[in-house]
Amino acid sequence: MKRFDCLKLIAAEAKDALVVSSAGAMTLEWNTLRPGDGNFRVRTLGLCSSIALGMALGLPHRRVIALDGDGSLLMNLCSLPTIARMQPGNLLHIVFDNEVYEASGSKKTATGCGTDLVEMARAAGIRNAAWANTLEDFTRAVSSALTQDEVCFLGVKVGTERSDVAPYPMDEVENKYRFIRYVETTEKIEILKTNLPASYV
Amino acid sequence: MSTEQAAATIVDGLKQAGISLVATLPDINLSQLLQVVESDADVLHVPLCREEEGIGICAGAYLVGKKCAAIMQNGGFFNSNNAIVSTLLQYQIPLLLLIYYAGDIGDRTFSTSGSMTEPVLEALGIRYYIMRDTADAPEMIKRAQILAEDSKRPVALLLTKEALGRRAALRSL
Repeated sequence: MKRFDCLKLIAAEAKDALVVSSAGAMTLEWNTLRPGDGNFRVRTLGLCSSIALGMALGLPHRRVIALDGDGSLLMNLCSLPTIARMQPGNLLHIVFDNEVYEASGSKKTATGCGTDLVEMARAAGIRNAAWANTLEDFTRAVSSALTQDEVCFLGVKVGTERSDVAPYPMDEVENKYRFIRYVETTEKIEILKTNLPASYV
Repeated sequence: MSTEQAAATIVDGLKQAGISLVATLPDINLSQLLQVVESDADVLHVPLCREEEGIGICAGAYLVGKKCAAIMQNGGFFNSNNAIVSTLLQYQIPLLLLIYYAGDIGDRTFSTSGSMTEPVLEALGIRYYIMRDTADAPEMIKRAQILAEDSKRPVALLLTKEALGRRAALRSL
């Protein structure tokens, strides 16, 4: 399957879900398909699922989607038992498994040598974990995960092709501020306060 | 002060500073503290498998409005360095780090970790303060949280055996 086609289907279902995406070309593709301030791009390889877990725990009534990669998840496998332990019902963790470190020169990852990330997720204690083998399966799984109250791990094997899309339109600090302001507006809460008094004390 | 009293004082300090999510990984010296975190209904406790994931979890929770703390041994701080650099520092995200100071003076087993703790914190530009008296804990935590939020960077409090109620404090330290 093509990652871009899968991302299109997610964009059609995501509504106002907060979306965390792993470092690499996928983030640019996602931001082209669903531009907006509810997207957070991760720069630390591996941390995508953990940052998404933190968001899901912090806002339990809001849908959170992690767009992860095989190389990223392999670096932070301990995220799986922690997600299983916390059971955030609002978290959908999707792994696009292209079996290479695409952003780092396309060397083969362990999933290209037999490691099965869905089996690992299940063994970690995430009961609702499955591979989507067709686009129809994928759409059904995403749609169902976004309406039920159970953490879902969805794996999908994709090719290594990249779509020709624009670069990410902002740096990390701007991404942070825009994301937080978006959460403030949509959740009607105050996160960033200017604590400075009228005069220096 | 007993280890239980010390743990309760520190957790009260966290709550007074507005912290509602605490990610932890055990060290024997942190046992009572983690027990109090676990049993406190006002704090969401996230037990970790590796400290670096905790940096990500706390960063994610911060982005949606939670004040967080991460409690770990200094070995766990070393484990977390890539996430601290390329997530917390790169995005300017504050986080209170409570680090057990293994290898502190008189503390057996981890003297190499002890000798590297402050230099690594300094190299990362993380401001840190050593807690030796539990009575100071609530005020130190409050001030450290203000510093973290104002500077939009992690700030570390190094927890010693005496701060955790595990040995007598010395006037010279």
